[in-house]
Amino acid sequence: MKPFIGRATALALGALASVSLSGAEAADKPYDGMTLNLASQNDQFAAVLAAIAPQFEALTGAKVNVDIMSYPELLTKITADYVGHTKGYDLATVDIVWSGQFAEAGYTVDLTDWIKRDAAEIKVDDIYPSLMASLGGYKGKQVAFPFAGYANVLAYRKDLYEAAGLKPPATMEEFVADALKLTDKSKKIYGFVANGQKGPAVAQDWMQYNRQFGGSILDKDGKPALNSPANIASVVAYKKLFDEAAPPGAADYDWGGREESFRQGLVANMQTWSIGAADYDNPKVSKIAGKAGIMLTPSAEGQPQEYGIGGWALGVNKDIDPKKQEAAWAFIKWVTSPAVHKELNLRGAGSYLRKSEMTDQELLAKYPFLPVIATSFEHGDGDFRPRIPQYPELQDLIGGAINAVLVGQADPKTAMDDIQAKAEALFK
Amino acid sequence: MRRDRIATDSGRDVTVVSRNGAASARDAAAFSTRWSYARKRQLFLGALAAPALVYVLAVAVGPMVQGFLYSFDNYNLIRPGSRHFVGLDNYIALWRDPTARSAVINTFLFTFGAVTIEFVLGLGVALLMWRDDWFNRIALGLLLVPATVTPLVVGLVFKALLNPEYGMIGYALAESGLSGPRGLLAEPQRALATLVAIDAWEWTPLMALILLAGLKSLPIDILEAAAVDGATAPQRFRLVILPLLMPAAFLALILRMMDAFRVFDIIFVSTSGGPADATNTLMIYGVKQGLEFFNIGAASAVSTVIVVCILIMAAAFIAVLKPARNRHA
Repeated sequence: MKPFIGRATALALGALASVSLSGAEAADKPYDGMTLNLASQNDQFAAVLAAIAPQFEALTGAKVNVDIMSYPELLTKITADYVGHTKGYDLATVDIVWSGQFAEAGYTVDLTDWIKRDAAEIKVDDIYPSLMASLGGYKGKQVAFPFAGYANVLAYRKDLYEAAGLKPPATMEEFVADALKLTDKSKKIYGFVANGQKGPAVAQDWMQYNRQFGGSILDKDGKPALNSPANIASVVAYKKLFDEAAPPGAADYDWGGREESFRQGLVANMQTWSIGAADYDNPKVSKIAGKAGIMLTPSAEGQPQEYGIGGWALGVNKDIDPKKQEAAWAFIKWVTSPAVHKELNLRGAGSYLRKSEMTDQELLAKYPFLPVIATSFEHGDGDFRPRIPQYPELQDLIGGAINAVLVGQADPKTAMDDIQAKAEALFK
Repeated sequence: MRRDRIATDSGRDVTVVSRNGAASARDAAAFSTRWSYARKRQLFLGALAAPALVYVLAVAVGPMVQGFLYSFDNYNLIRPGSRHFVGLDNYIALWRDPTARSAVINTFLFTFGAVTIEFVLGLGVALLMWRDDWFNRIALGLLLVPATVTPLVVGLVFKALLNPEYGMIGYALAESGLSGPRGLLAEPQRALATLVAIDAWEWTPLMALILLAGLKSLPIDILEAAAVDGATAPQRFRLVILPLLMPAAFLALILRMMDAFRVFDIIFVSTSGGPADATNTLMIYGVKQGLEFFNIGAASAVSTVIVVCILIMAAAFIAVLKPARNRHA
């Protein structure tokens, strides 16, 4: 028993000492004793965010609990929290496409004035304007602060292109031609892969290709134009790629299946979010290590050279008391500050935001594809998926129609006419 | 007689209530003490049950009633201001909208398909494992493994296995021409049947276990008497075993039916209701309405339909089960 008692006494003394120490430090820590709950999407950045959060506590005294969850769970939990005013989460990661919904419902604090006030501290000029505008920005409001920018890039197989004597595609026309040429079904090599599964999976991938083919979900007045000739033509092209150049099972692929088919070496071309790019050269999970290239996504001839962007912002719950809102804002400023954000990315968050990150030698040594992301952000289009309050229903309609076309249950024109009628009803 | 016992149990200074009914003053006092004791006991038991009762009312009955009321409203959480009464519109939409109608039809097809297969296979397995020996005991343990896996994981595992490009089963099926190039889950004609098969893989063992428990509780003497009387094996099965097994069979059927009717996880992660509307079920449709679009009115209508269907199924089974139990128990 004696050694135990000795140890216990030492522990108690240690605890007392730390209490008195923390008392002395309290003055330096403006948010001492405060706890901030952060609801986070389970993307690559989430675990890094949780690992780095204690540094904020050491600095300010505010403990940050990072609650990591899947996409549907996150949306359900924070919406329930906001609607019921239950103040469960002080901070939340906000998907690019929720901006309009959040702005209309007023769930989160409009950060516009705070950003103006603290512009010098934040170094706003270092943040890509396209990310500031689309990640949380909506009709003059900033309902969340950009945190993790993703670029839509083209991942391609350098070895297959070389073997076929082809150059990587510069336009969508070349992309389609290359995809068809590189397909050799007898050898189980396919020129193209994209999400085909019903729901958000196929909807989001098609909307990306649709933009590159020259289509648009909304017209100039912001009303749905799903059955426009350009959109129908892009559905026809998408189906042709699926029928003639994609692994047959792609009709039921979501993001996981699509990425796996690329890493398994079945596919020559795949457009994807930049966040997965670091995995292709990892021989533990990839059969194509050293063979994959990352490049800018092509656009159809005559279309402006723009690139799809997406990602996550951080929003502050409007219901929590002002002192907590202030602490939450302090956390956002800290976590997006150049040094901390770089640290996040060195730890593999794959979430870019600042121009300075793209030229940082340490990051470049680890992620040589950063210049592609930089160009994508400079000419980024965050609106190819309309960030409007009706987005969830619109995405569902598109996801059902395109999947039905891909599996031969509907023809492109009928499917798009049908969902156009339903989409119009959402805007009444 | 009961009066005597209760009075004694109370442990008070009360003598036995007279059996011939003589109503002395002492008896009257005893009676009142006994009565208040019984009442106290009732109150005590009520107090014990109260927390559970309040809990059930608060978390089950209350929300259910609230959901039922919501189902007559157009109520979207994102636009709470636009809430208004729409009568039966949410229910009518369930049949008028082709996607919603497919959900209703697919739910019934899935439920009856899965439960029928699971029952037939489960009964076969239970009969095979009836004899109590070491092989059967080990086999029974192993058989329960699928039922211990979370349905969501089952969905993900089968989605990977059935992938026609790199899935172990899917590749073989596509190469041999048994599945078509897109794989079973991406073909509208086969996707629902495939999901039924996956459900049967997971839940047949549970069905078998319940039926086996029923078989093991059958009175051996009746079976022996039937054998002695010269009944053949098929006759014994049809005329003796099956009728005696009815209570266990109905229990297994009703448990699985209620569960299959609410199928969600395996479909959500493997096909998301596709291809086209081939595997869209009521739960998939309801969750989408409620948790993706926050369309509480429509989602409540779906929930109400699910509850009513399950209640009807349960009532039908109980009605069938009751005479069966009276006859054989």
